[in-house]
Amino acid sequence: MITNDYDAIVIGSGAGGAPIAQRLVLAGKSVLVLEKGPLLQPQYLSDDGLSDFKRDELFATGPEKRIGIEGMANLGQATFSSHVEPDLNDEPHIYQGADGRDYATLEGYTAQVIGGGTQLYGAVHLRFTETDFRLKSFNDDRTDLRADPNGDVRREARDWAISYADLEPYYCQVEELVGINGTSANQLKPFSIDHLQRPLTPNPISVYARQGMVAKGVQHPHQGQPVSPYRTPLAVITENHAPSKRKVPADRDSIRSSYVNRYGDPLGLKSSTWVSLLAPVADRPNLAIWCNCVVTLLRHQADRVTDIVFRDPGGQEQVLQVKPGAVVVVACSAIESVRLLQLSALTDTEFRRRINPNDLLGRYFLTHCFGGAETAVVGNPPSFPPLQFDKSASLDSDWAIDYPSSEDFLREFGLWAGAAIYNNTSDQALPLSLARTHGSQDIDTIWQTFDAGFWGTADPGVPADSRGRPLHGQGMIDFFRENFGTRLSVSFMANQVPLPSNRIELHPTVVDKWKRPVAWIIKDWHSHDRYLMDVLANQCREILKVGNANPHPDGIESGGIYMAGNARARIANHILGGARFGLDRNDSVLDSHCRAWDLDNLYVTDGSFMPTSGGANPTHTIEANAFRVADHLVSRL
Amino acid sequence: MASISQLEVVDTYVLNSATKHLAREELPPRNTYGDPLPAGDPRGQISEAWRFPIIDSYAGTSPRAGDEQLNKVTFVVRDRDLSQPTSVTVVGSFAALYEQIPLQPVLFLGQPTGFRACTLVLPKQQLHIYRFMVDGQLRNDPINPQRRQLDNGSVWSQFFTEGCSQLITFQPWEARLMERLTEHILPFRTADGEQFLKNHVNFLDRQIAESRFPFSYRLDNSVGAVNYIDKILSREERHHRANYRICLRIIDALLRQRNPFTDTNLMSRGIYTELYDQMLSGPDGSVPGWPYGDYGRPRFFMELLRRHTYTGAFSHPKYGGNAGAAGWEFLASRYPFDWQAALEAPLGRNADYRG
Repeated sequence: MITNDYDAIVIGSGAGGAPIAQRLVLAGKSVLVLEKGPLLQPQYLSDDGLSDFKRDELFATGPEKRIGIEGMANLGQATFSSHVEPDLNDEPHIYQGADGRDYATLEGYTAQVIGGGTQLYGAVHLRFTETDFRLKSFNDDRTDLRADPNGDVRREARDWAISYADLEPYYCQVEELVGINGTSANQLKPFSIDHLQRPLTPNPISVYARQGMVAKGVQHPHQGQPVSPYRTPLAVITENHAPSKRKVPADRDSIRSSYVNRYGDPLGLKSSTWVSLLAPVADRPNLAIWCNCVVTLLRHQADRVTDIVFRDPGGQEQVLQVKPGAVVVVACSAIESVRLLQLSALTDTEFRRRINPNDLLGRYFLTHCFGGAETAVVGNPPSFPPLQFDKSASLDSDWAIDYPSSEDFLREFGLWAGAAIYNNTSDQALPLSLARTHGSQDIDTIWQTFDAGFWGTADPGVPADSRGRPLHGQGMIDFFRENFGTRLSVSFMANQVPLPSNRIELHPTVVDKWKRPVAWIIKDWHSHDRYLMDVLANQCREILKVGNANPHPDGIESGGIYMAGNARARIANHILGGARFGLDRNDSVLDSHCRAWDLDNLYVTDGSFMPTSGGANPTHTIEANAFRVADHLVSRL
Repeated sequence: MASISQLEVVDTYVLNSATKHLAREELPPRNTYGDPLPAGDPRGQISEAWRFPIIDSYAGTSPRAGDEQLNKVTFVVRDRDLSQPTSVTVVGSFAALYEQIPLQPVLFLGQPTGFRACTLVLPKQQLHIYRFMVDGQLRNDPINPQRRQLDNGSVWSQFFTEGCSQLITFQPWEARLMERLTEHILPFRTADGEQFLKNHVNFLDRQIAESRFPFSYRLDNSVGAVNYIDKILSREERHHRANYRICLRIIDALLRQRNPFTDTNLMSRGIYTELYDQMLSGPDGSVPGWPYGDYGRPRFFMELLRRHTYTGAFSHPKYGGNAGAAGWEFLASRYPFDWQAALEAPLGRNADYRG
């Protein structure tokens, strides 16, 4: 038993945990952060000046491994993962496929490392809209919702326990403290303060996305005014960042690198929660960070969590006492946090009664409705081969637009909730990532290109039925000519309808390397989700078309993720919900401070608290909410 | 060989790899490395056992010229695999004969974790054998799946540092056939590719090449893809060695059967591409004369070979392929692709990133 004097023990160092740890440390509280993954350093924080992260495609994506879990439908299949992702055989998540069989998998941006998923993310850092926080109110009286024959959307939509206005000051704090570049003008979200750093020069290929966004923003005005694109907020510093004392290179343009999305950044310019929030306070005596320690169980007495059971870096079980008056913050990312709570409830009926009295824990698991359109840019009039750009000099996204979140747009199409649309500039910029993801609809099919054997050519001069070609020799040259530096995609990120049947459970037979049941994900798309993805994918297609990226009717591929062959498998780039917060204890797992209703010192602050998934990438909102909870904790401790 | 440079063991650095891959409960094995493992072999349970010893980039605390030619090599053992020993040292071809380098206990909060480690600084481009001396007994590394049988019949653990170009997996005849198989997958033997080789690689000034590309040992037509595959089959993707062994034998026999009067090395490009197309035809390939009873899915092998070849040609040269960055240079010679802007010197010219 390890006795200690910590005021707060934070489990997880990513977007949900780090803001709380930092805020409490600065308020003079004694804090312990327990992180399952390693402490990997950028150059400026390492002893020898070398980073534990590399600009190296193979290092980032890894060699082929084989799934070796008996009973899985994908036993023996190939898998590729980043060096900071969990090993699929050791700690899989199990998805139930459309065929009712179980598949081992992991989500797109789950990372086990100090900083969590913010080490791996593309860093798109958008706020949610005002409407995203009040989707029940927004939809209550509507009769125009499409593809919702049973009224599920209106029944299941929820308002958040807080409003946009409540969270807005914390969005500002994130933008200041984390370090984000972009522009606030033209966003359909009010900013009280603009802390965004100057964006870098956009990659020339992105002009085709911007042109399309401008045209579509005129076509779909908001309150009578055209909607204009803005520079996508990205958590990458482009100027020296005083709060974290990070400095940018003398040549600002060199910051533009495609070694950012799905890479840990060796220069520390990408604003992970480690470089932006924790490292600046890491040498304070009231902060301890124990990496390579995985929490396996919480124990309680009455309404307090009293013990944290964890495995130390050598694998030995240790028990950490929670001192009277101290709080425990669980922020392991949505699936793992829900799993930890479920595991703790598994053998303790009183814990279960307190954390899950209404059978809501694990339910209303959410991802995002996402998808988009992609093309080889041929311009207008079209040229063949396509136009080529050096996409390796770009960050994840250059331009975004908010018209698909305006009420006018939602009513026009009968949608329950809106979306952000942004272009992806750095996708497929490097040769391995190009081959890995070409023709695939998601990242678990990363070698689909090679497995497909023959790829179609986009050459309009070739009859459609004879466009196959071999990918070797001249075929490879043709492939590069048509695809290397030519491809531009536009994506949408939208709310998924919350459903109780979409849920996280403990798998009945599969265990992790600690012999604990692994998470079992059961989910499907609602008919309104599919309709919404069709509408938004078509918007993305039109952006590319009217932006003159490609005028050919069949030159643009588009769709929602529900159409992917593996639509139930590794679809969850963002994992949210499962322990939603609310004002009604009968309808939520957590109260408005993200505290378990009947466990007074237990808080859950990763994306699992979200009752709806928001129309944008979630990291910004998770961090803002964590700062909000931190303020509550400072007043409490 | 002189006594070698040893670094102080940094606990967190070792645990950053050891905990994820080595700390665990006993479970039925979920991992394979190609060879059937004896019952109870710890490698069946360890994830990514090939990561050990840990090979990493090196820089001294005060950087010196030549650091980029060195690797940091960290040996790690688990006490539980060695019956809770009192003393563990490593001996190997990187040090003087029988020089024993002790492994130190790795600590967390001042307490032993059950791991021991030592970190050495070794030159790149080397292949070494080693064993652990455990309480006076020599033992192979229970974690690292790489082993080599010496001429005297004894089996030793083995590792290689970055950019190694010695053949490890392939026999010389297999490597020659692989050169032909890979060169017709890659674009360098097309008319466009030949021009590139002529302009950019074959006539690249040797001195420039060696300072800019530390691994320009093979500025030949192959761009090192075969060397990359040789290495990945020894380490990361060991489980695919059997596919290569079987299929290279079949392909060699098939080509000789089809062209009895020509050496496989001299056969025309068309003969190879015809074979590729047959191997990729239909769900399992449709190759006249292929012994389907011996290996049922030539298509699978062709896809595997193509993935490995492409990866070798266009990944970082430290993996043994993309010699002299020829793969990237080929792309840059045809398309806007300033690959050097992001990468470390002397390979690239980014002023901040150090590799």
